[in-house]
Amino acid sequence: MRNFILRYLLPRLGQYLVVIFLGVTITYIIPRLSPSDPVERQVAEIMVSGAHFGPEAIAHMRDALTDMYGLRGSPIEQYLAFWARMFQGDLGPSLSRFPTPVISLIARALPWTLGLLITAVMISWVIGNILGAYASYYEKSGIMKVIDVASQAVRPIPYYIVAVIFLIVFAYFFPIFPAGGAYPVGRRIEMSIWAVQTILRHSALPALSLVTVGMGAWFIGMKSLTSNIISEDYVVYAEVTGLPQRKILYGYIMPNALLPQVTGLALNLGMIFSGALILEVVFVYPGMGMLTYQAVLANDYSLIMGIAIFSIVGVATAVLILDLIYPLFDPRVRHQ
Amino acid sequence: MPLLSVKNLHAYYRTEAYGISRTVRAVDDVSFELQKNEIYGIAGESSCGKTTLIKVISGSIKPPLRIEGGTMTYTFDGRDVDIASVAPEVMRREIRWKEISYVMQGSMSILNPVRRVRRIFRHVVDTHQGIDDKRKFEALCRDHLKKLGLPPDILQAYPHQLSGGMKQRIAIALATIFRPSLIIADEPTTALDVVVQRGVLQLLKDIQAESSNTVLLVTHDMAVHANVADRVAIMYAGTIVEEGPTEVIFGAPQHPYTQHLIASLPVIGDKGTRSALPGAPPNLASPPSGCRFHPRCPMAKEICRRVVPSMIQLDTLHRAACHLVGEREEA
Repeated sequence: MRNFILRYLLPRLGQYLVVIFLGVTITYIIPRLSPSDPVERQVAEIMVSGAHFGPEAIAHMRDALTDMYGLRGSPIEQYLAFWARMFQGDLGPSLSRFPTPVISLIARALPWTLGLLITAVMISWVIGNILGAYASYYEKSGIMKVIDVASQAVRPIPYYIVAVIFLIVFAYFFPIFPAGGAYPVGRRIEMSIWAVQTILRHSALPALSLVTVGMGAWFIGMKSLTSNIISEDYVVYAEVTGLPQRKILYGYIMPNALLPQVTGLALNLGMIFSGALILEVVFVYPGMGMLTYQAVLANDYSLIMGIAIFSIVGVATAVLILDLIYPLFDPRVRHQ
Repeated sequence: MPLLSVKNLHAYYRTEAYGISRTVRAVDDVSFELQKNEIYGIAGESSCGKTTLIKVISGSIKPPLRIEGGTMTYTFDGRDVDIASVAPEVMRREIRWKEISYVMQGSMSILNPVRRVRRIFRHVVDTHQGIDDKRKFEALCRDHLKKLGLPPDILQAYPHQLSGGMKQRIAIALATIFRPSLIIADEPTTALDVVVQRGVLQLLKDIQAESSNTVLLVTHDMAVHANVADRVAIMYAGTIVEEGPTEVIFGAPQHPYTQHLIASLPVIGDKGTRSALPGAPPNLASPPSGCRFHPRCPMAKEICRRVVPSMIQLDTLHRAACHLVGEREEA
């Protein structure tokens, strides 16, 4: 155990921190290469609104903004101050929704995205993999052939097209589900059965679009992985010894074929911190994707930076967790 | 009573693609008997139909492989079983592993890489003989492994932690756990070095001596046959060309193919060059007419090109299929 911590866990954690450090540093540098000065722009915007300020007031405002944006001092000082604020959870104020802090915008959007995407990714992963393994193992089954053709057909369609089709069919022609949003406008979210129902009803269509397309992708991947595993000696041997087919599928084929899919799942879960941009826009869903979209439209650098930092941490953390739990799935990578 | 009696067995692979049908006559008119309590070797070069023969007699016939004729009758405890007509479920539960078990070619990779060896034993045992009591199962496995001289701790291991020789021994242990009447070993030593080979062969021999069952040993390695087999059959292009006790096959081979095979083996002290047989084995999709060996046979005559030679009984246990041998016998 001691050996494991010293020679595996600590180096791995170090690597994790280095990745985050580099990612965040790059995110810090890029907006600063832009020629526009956010302080001047903010001042100009306030001036344009028509209010009149004396030169002293303007100088004062400039001063306050420079502080707020962390632009005081040399680049090195700014960079250090940036890290200091990061550790306090302060990502600065949003430019477009001044002066709301970036962190509270993200905190508002993140639960929506996480709830929707984790559910959709998990459902499509589980179903896609089970069906993929079945389709490859029971090649002659008619249902499996239908699912196979359907997946091949759905797979190349971008998920937002699927989303639009669902929206037209289930919200317009047959108004079963609401056309957008995550909850009715103007209502506060409280813990009640009504709230849960409403949220589920609102997220049904976005989730359905993600599951439909995601499942197709996992299905196709798993099908080809399984068809490779089926011809492995240990599967042929299991058949020769007379094991029942179910046992071969669940005990021999799936545990081996799933290994790359587990990696894929972890990477997918890491990516969800940046949200499903177009989908959220199509469904007017108040998640990270929508936030990114608005931030880009409004040139809101500090918000884009905040979202990017969250994505970096998300992907790095997912990969770290994957590395730590992978030996549970594949004993061959267990640390000796 | 022989354990298995195979008569005039024909097994072909029939495939059809784009309207062109192809027939590969992998096993063509093969007859032999397996006695109880013996080690029977089948030798022959690659693609001579050895593995197909095993598939057929172990009842694992899947399209495109089909039996085109002949009979295969097993006698288990006085009960006759025609292996080609057994219901698949009976085959799977009662005959596989309990009566006929199999040490597969490429045993190095037969163990599920993500499960402990114990789990593989568990699966095999559960399929054929439910043992609900965990301790009884554990005791069964440990006893069996100890008897074979294997450390019982390997149950705890993952396949990647074991050496090739150990995996091969586990394959043998798995195949013998129910004391089957027939153990089919397909190239059991091919990927092993000679030292490990010796251990594995000794293990097979010991098991056979201890439980007096039958081992069908299939390998292209003549040295293995010389060491282990009681009787040897030589296959060429889907047919058995000669069969006899091991000493006779190695000491006084009659069929020209066998003679060449034996002559190609190194002999201690002899520094002369070994001769190799010219040509390559025939394509079984369109085998030569008459004797299938005639295009490569240095002694081929006119009759060899036209007529398929029949098996000639030379001795109670020794027989060969060759026109020349027939002529010699008549003279």
